[in-house]
Amino acid sequence: MGQRRVAITGLGLVSPYGGDLADFFRRLCAGESAVGHLQTDDLPRPLSMPFVTCPGFDPDLVLGKPQASMMDRFAQFGLAAAFSAWDDAGLPRQPDGESRSDWGVAWGTALGGTMAYEKGYRELWQRGRERLSPLTVVLGMNNGANAHMSIQFGLGGVSMSHTVACASSAIAIGEAFRRVRSGEAKVMLTGGSDVPQAYGVARAWEALRVMAPGDRETSPFACRPFSADRRGLVLGEGGAALVLEDWDHATARGARIHGEIVGYGTTCDHTHLVRPEADGQIRAIRLTLADAGLDIGDIDYVNAHGTATAEGDPVEIAALKAVFGEGAASLPVSATKSMHGHLLGGSAAIEAIVTVLALRDGSIPPTAHLGELDPACAGVDHVTSARHGQPLRAALSNSFAFGGSNAVLAFRAVNL
Amino acid sequence: MESIELIRDFLKDRLAVEPENVVPGAALAELGVDSLMMLELMFEFEDRYGVKLSRDLKTPRTVGEMVTLMDGLIAKSKS
Repeated sequence: MGQRRVAITGLGLVSPYGGDLADFFRRLCAGESAVGHLQTDDLPRPLSMPFVTCPGFDPDLVLGKPQASMMDRFAQFGLAAAFSAWDDAGLPRQPDGESRSDWGVAWGTALGGTMAYEKGYRELWQRGRERLSPLTVVLGMNNGANAHMSIQFGLGGVSMSHTVACASSAIAIGEAFRRVRSGEAKVMLTGGSDVPQAYGVARAWEALRVMAPGDRETSPFACRPFSADRRGLVLGEGGAALVLEDWDHATARGARIHGEIVGYGTTCDHTHLVRPEADGQIRAIRLTLADAGLDIGDIDYVNAHGTATAEGDPVEIAALKAVFGEGAASLPVSATKSMHGHLLGGSAAIEAIVTVLALRDGSIPPTAHLGELDPACAGVDHVTSARHGQPLRAALSNSFAFGGSNAVLAFRAVNL
Repeated sequence: MESIELIRDFLKDRLAVEPENVVPGAALAELGVDSLMMLELMFEFEDRYGVKLSRDLKTPRTVGEMVTLMDGLIAKSKS
């Protein structure tokens, strides 16, 4: 079987703004930050940090109580996003005649069910209990989210989770894309979700000194990628899902196609656990362009990894300049983490959705709070306020993880 | 009959089952109690009453069987 074209027919997320997908994208384009301030009552020292939460998310309501009670919060976000994407694709929740034996799920999560395990530690060490709920294992396992999805949608093909730190869902989406392109799967559900506010996890990130500070007033502006005064990243909880579908299958059933996924490349810096290298990123971007059959001149937008760390941002811009050469100066780039935060294993999925919507609607969302540009991040066309009415043809979404893993996805606009 | 109240509370809390449906004749499976939920229910029961269920216990099929089992264990633990 030759290579199949891969349509994106479903998009869904749990929006940190509380609304639907259209509302999410509208607010991003308006430069509106979803970052708030997380204050917990943990002992011995409460968490107090800029953070993106989804306060409007009610898992019992969206998933039903029996379902929700069998899932850790990361899986609840995942399944809620998956329901939304599946409905958006116009697919029935359960098979209705057509076999789904080769349909599958590839899900990204950096942390998996950390919350379930942390609850267990608290029971044992804080409350002096001697045993744990028997559900802890099935709540905690990293493949909990995709397992529930396979059950809910009757998907008999591969069901797997990918844990590659901040690139988890880029790699999940890329691997899902390859399976549809090769003809192995007609439909793949993909995306990612994470919940980084487990006490031990959030404290560990703080210790790394890469987290932006902020209080109740300043938190919304805490994440400032590429800015001279950037102070670091902002973590957030959430989930985002995409339905990737064999092009002919999608058109045969008259599905609405949001965009086309055309390329995926992944590399490893193989040099350092946390210090990124431009070389590994350059290779990943070039692999992706080659995989997609795209030229640098075809790319009209890059959704940057752009976490707002001191070290990461300039390296990403250096990589873009190396790949795009003279064209870099006019290459529109934005880092939407400035608004939706860093969802770890969910980041690449939410950014893939942003990239697809940008192509579909011809609107580039900005990097928020980018006042004075860090000279070390200069050399691309930084988008600091939304640009509408753009005839965008193709776009890239970058994800560069701790561990040195790099993954880049390429998308093309569809004019049907 | 204190154990039926525990079962009702549990099923209401975990599975949103209305208490009036939790009657002795009702099959646990039909109320949504699968093998995992059964483990969790037994765990809660053990916790609440400080008893230990035997590992090779025959799994109850109905609410009534569950109540009989639990009441027996509670009585034994008090004696």
